[in-house]
Amino acid sequence: MKELFQMLPDPRFHLVYGITQRFSEGPSPRQVRLNREGFKLLEGISKKMLVYPHQKLGVHPSPAKGDVFSPIFGKITEVNERSIFVEAVEPDEELRAAAQSVEKVDLLAMPERGGELVPILKGLGLNTGSLGQDCETLIINGLNPDPGVTWAEPMLLAHQRNLHNGLEMLRRLSPARRILLAVPKEIRLQHHDVEIVHVPSHYPASVNALVIKAVTGKERPDGVGIVGLHNVWSLGRVAVTGLPLTETVITIGSFTHSGNYIVKEGSMIGELLAFANIEFRDGDTLVRGGPLRGESIEKLSRSVTKGSTGVFVVEAGSVPVMEGHSPCINCGACVLVCPARLSPNLLSRYAEFALHERARKEYVEQCLECGLCGYVCIARRPVLQYIRLAKHKLAEADAVRRLEELKPVGQGEAASGAAQGGN
Amino acid sequence: MTSASSSVLLAMSAPPYWHCGRSIRRQSLYILAALLPAVCFAVWNWGLPAVRVMALSVAVCVAVEALCQKLMGRELAVDDLTAVCSGLLLAFLLPADSPWWLVVLGAVTSITLGKMAFGGLGANPVNTVLVGWAVLFVSFPLHMDANAASLGTTFVDPLVRLKFFGAEQAAHIPLTDLLLGRQINGLGAGQIGALFVGGSLLCMRGILRWHSALGFFLGVAGIAAIFHASDPMLHASPLYHLCTGSVMLAGFFLITDPANAPSRPLPMFLYGLIGGGLVMAIRKYGVYTDGTPFAILLVNMLTPLLDMIRPKPFGVR
Ligand code: SF4
Ligand code: SF4
Repeated sequence: MKELFQMLPDPRFHLVYGITQRFSEGPSPRQVRLNREGFKLLEGISKKMLVYPHQKLGVHPSPAKGDVFSPIFGKITEVNERSIFVEAVEPDEELRAAAQSVEKVDLLAMPERGGELVPILKGLGLNTGSLGQDCETLIINGLNPDPGVTWAEPMLLAHQRNLHNGLEMLRRLSPARRILLAVPKEIRLQHHDVEIVHVPSHYPASVNALVIKAVTGKERPDGVGIVGLHNVWSLGRVAVTGLPLTETVITIGSFTHSGNYIVKEGSMIGELLAFANIEFRDGDTLVRGGPLRGESIEKLSRSVTKGSTGVFVVEAGSVPVMEGHSPCINCGACVLVCPARLSPNLLSRYAEFALHERARKEYVEQCLECGLCGYVCIARRPVLQYIRLAKHKLAEADAVRRLEELKPVGQGEAASGAAQGGN
Repeated sequence: MTSASSSVLLAMSAPPYWHCGRSIRRQSLYILAALLPAVCFAVWNWGLPAVRVMALSVAVCVAVEALCQKLMGRELAVDDLTAVCSGLLLAFLLPADSPWWLVVLGAVTSITLGKMAFGGLGANPVNTVLVGWAVLFVSFPLHMDANAASLGTTFVDPLVRLKFFGAEQAAHIPLTDLLLGRQINGLGAGQIGALFVGGSLLCMRGILRWHSALGFFLGVAGIAAIFHASDPMLHASPLYHLCTGSVMLAGFFLITDPANAPSRPLPMFLYGLIGGGLVMAIRKYGVYTDGTPFAILLVNMLTPLLDMIRPKPFGVR
């Protein structure tokens, strides 16, 4: 009977899929496109240059952000503000030798702990922001993040060595006194070296704030941090291979089938889809990230980065079209479904009419960005998009206000004028 | 494949990219399907006159909505079929022998005053259909009185019987007659059994919110039970009240209209409960025999108040 009243009857929302196959290796890319936003290129790295796998190409000024490496043998074909393009080439002897000479790091044998590990991991391409965060209790979110993403179960059950090493490194890195692994309550997992907590597994249960609530029983408690299983896997991967991280695990899927692959960072989405035998036609939507929270991609030459969780094709006609300007008909479905107990109908209307301060009073900042409001909206309003817009505008307004407080009187107006011009 | 597919035109969209698949149009189709048994029973019990009223009401509603949208410079949206639902529900509240002008007038006021004047679907603070109904009821009480309008029938009006002849007399009407729609009432509102089947299926599918429907029926039955227990000779049984007037129609299809109902479970339930209580209050103390539509119009006004009962948002202390 309960199921009959469910507003989310889609079986895919149950985040346990019984998929435990080990990950397949993805394609060897013919071309990669690496993100270089914010990165400073190393001396001598330039166009036309030949590169080898794990060769460091750039560093990021932030200590928590991993450096960028070439994932393949190739030639740099283009470098611009946002990306580095590398085209695969057949390596010659010299290049092969260079690749062989990349030094392996045995992380597990190192004595460093805590903050001392951060620069080492950065030098291995790892982002340590959430892994090394300062908190009392650190929860590892072991659920599949979005419906349709299926790599969490194999990560927990089929890649034990990787997980084990990741956990060991995490224990050394994290200042947390307690580290917990949250897994779906359907999964029986024995791990002697980490405390396991079983949590509900029906989306949106995988949203970080809700996992924290399921584990601690509190909403937004202090001193509790959360990190994705994906990050722990990357950490484990580096510990296992001893080499800089140049790959990521993603689910590549369409409505009918999907699979999990270890793919090279910077692989282009078109190549990945072709490799996974997923077809698409005019009018389909291409999503990077999860089907509920991801982003829509406009061309096949965009690539996956370390943080990507998946690539999905949403076939035209499989969902009602979003026209973008449909008014809210007050059907109330979004209010019923919202896990943050907000009123997305009001919030989206405030955003629509640029009443952002009113949205703030309606707690727009508490939104968990789970996307369910848009999923159930029968008017097909881009509800989440509206909410993100409102949040963004509010953050912007706050930044301007802070600036104005700092500036001597008289210049404040100019600043806000400029900010408005930028909208 | 890549070379050929690089020319593929991808559709850009906003998250989430999956959707529950429901649309306004599909929702309307569900509602129409749920009303279908009642339509059949109406035709069976009242014959061609009922068909005439239903067809006219639906046609006028759709035409007026299209016209309004044209005049307001909006995109035409009659294909969402909400006007068809409104038209049918309005017809359900009218006597089968209503003159054509009454139907037309009701349909026009429903759509213009009850819907488009507020800005279209979902923006109306009170029920679209009942706005039209109320205007007709207040202006042409004689034509809206099903008992006076339906002369050529052997059916009786159970509520008139109850009000003027007492509960004992009323109890002689067999329950099966009430369930099968053999009673004087709005042409569709009286098809109790058919409405119950359609309505409960919709609730189970989650198309209608069961909270307000359940609250409403509990409100009606609860108060009726109290009266009945106090003096069974004077007051009809709860079941009698549920099966007469437009209680069944209203509980499933009018009070559940989400545009003017609260949106959280508890307020929805209270809203239904209060609505049900009001029905009984009007039936007992008011001058009208039924009172259901008025009760719903009244409780519509309480929605903003009830919407203030809400839990604290996530993590707000
Ligand atoms: S995305 Fe929508 S449903 Fe999810 S928390 Fe935010 S407002 Fe609520
Ligand atoms: S689900 Fe869509 S149409 Fe319904 S109330 Fe929410 S925003 Fe409005």
